[in-house]
Amino acid sequence: MRALVVDDSRTMRVIVARALRTLGFETDDAEHGQAALDKLAATGPVDLVCVDWNMPVMDGLEFVTAVRKDRSLRGMTIMMVTTESEQSQIVRALAAGAHEYLIKPFTVDAIRDKLELLGLVAAGEPV
Amino acid sequence: MSQVIAGEDVYAIAQDIFASMVDGDVGTIVPWEGPPPGWQEPVTAWVDLQGDWAGRASLTTETSTAHALARALLGFGEDEPVERADLVDAFGEVVNVVGGNVKSLLETTGSLGLPQVADVDPGLPGGLVLSEMVLAWHGRALELVVRAVL
Repeated sequence: MRALVVDDSRTMRVIVARALRTLGFETDDAEHGQAALDKLAATGPVDLVCVDWNMPVMDGLEFVTAVRKDRSLRGMTIMMVTTESEQSQIVRALAAGAHEYLIKPFTVDAIRDKLELLGLVAAGEPV
Repeated sequence: MSQVIAGEDVYAIAQDIFASMVDGDVGTIVPWEGPPPGWQEPVTAWVDLQGDWAGRASLTTETSTAHALARALLGFGEDEPVERADLVDAFGEVVNVVGGNVKSLLETTGSLGLPQVADVDPGLPGGLVLSEMVLAWHGRALELVVRAVL
């Protein structure tokens, strides 16, 4: 399984990628939504994108909207990983096409639980 | 508009962040005991909360502690050097998550600014301190302050 981690914070990219690797993912990363789209155009779709909300150049919501408009990327699972915790924000992200929403801070177990729900990790698989 | 932000809620946020992001264990951050630390080479990270409720969350510590924190977050070795950019990013991200979680305590809507890091704590001129605590992370002091704009 391949995952792309999109966050303007290098620290958060490292943390999310580390968690995903413990769950068996190969990971790549991008600093903002536009860089992620450029990467996907070059490498093709991945199984999972974990994307932050607040980023320069192109934010997470714009990225989700752009992906959903691109037929070649429609099969990808998108999880927002962000500090934005207002209900209205969560609704906006899901309405735009994100499949799941994870609020920072999070544990590896929390990511695993979300990915189990999405069918990307087998239930009960040890970390 | 001002709202009450309980110190215990801010402490719970700090505990959660350090347990899940930094150490992977509960109880690594505890209240500081003893006299307040006298900073030698401090560094402060802060993030502004904007909207119906405006304020600032800030975190101050010794630069050496911020280096240790960056190493822990980035998975660096104990003696591995930390570039200034990594320190700014890692320390800023901690306060960013603090700010986001403080925002979730509010009944109002708003947004979060970008985290900033400097060697001098800018405070918040005219601001009201709502919560102020000194915490110990592996025996190293960190001061966490939440201020409201009046």
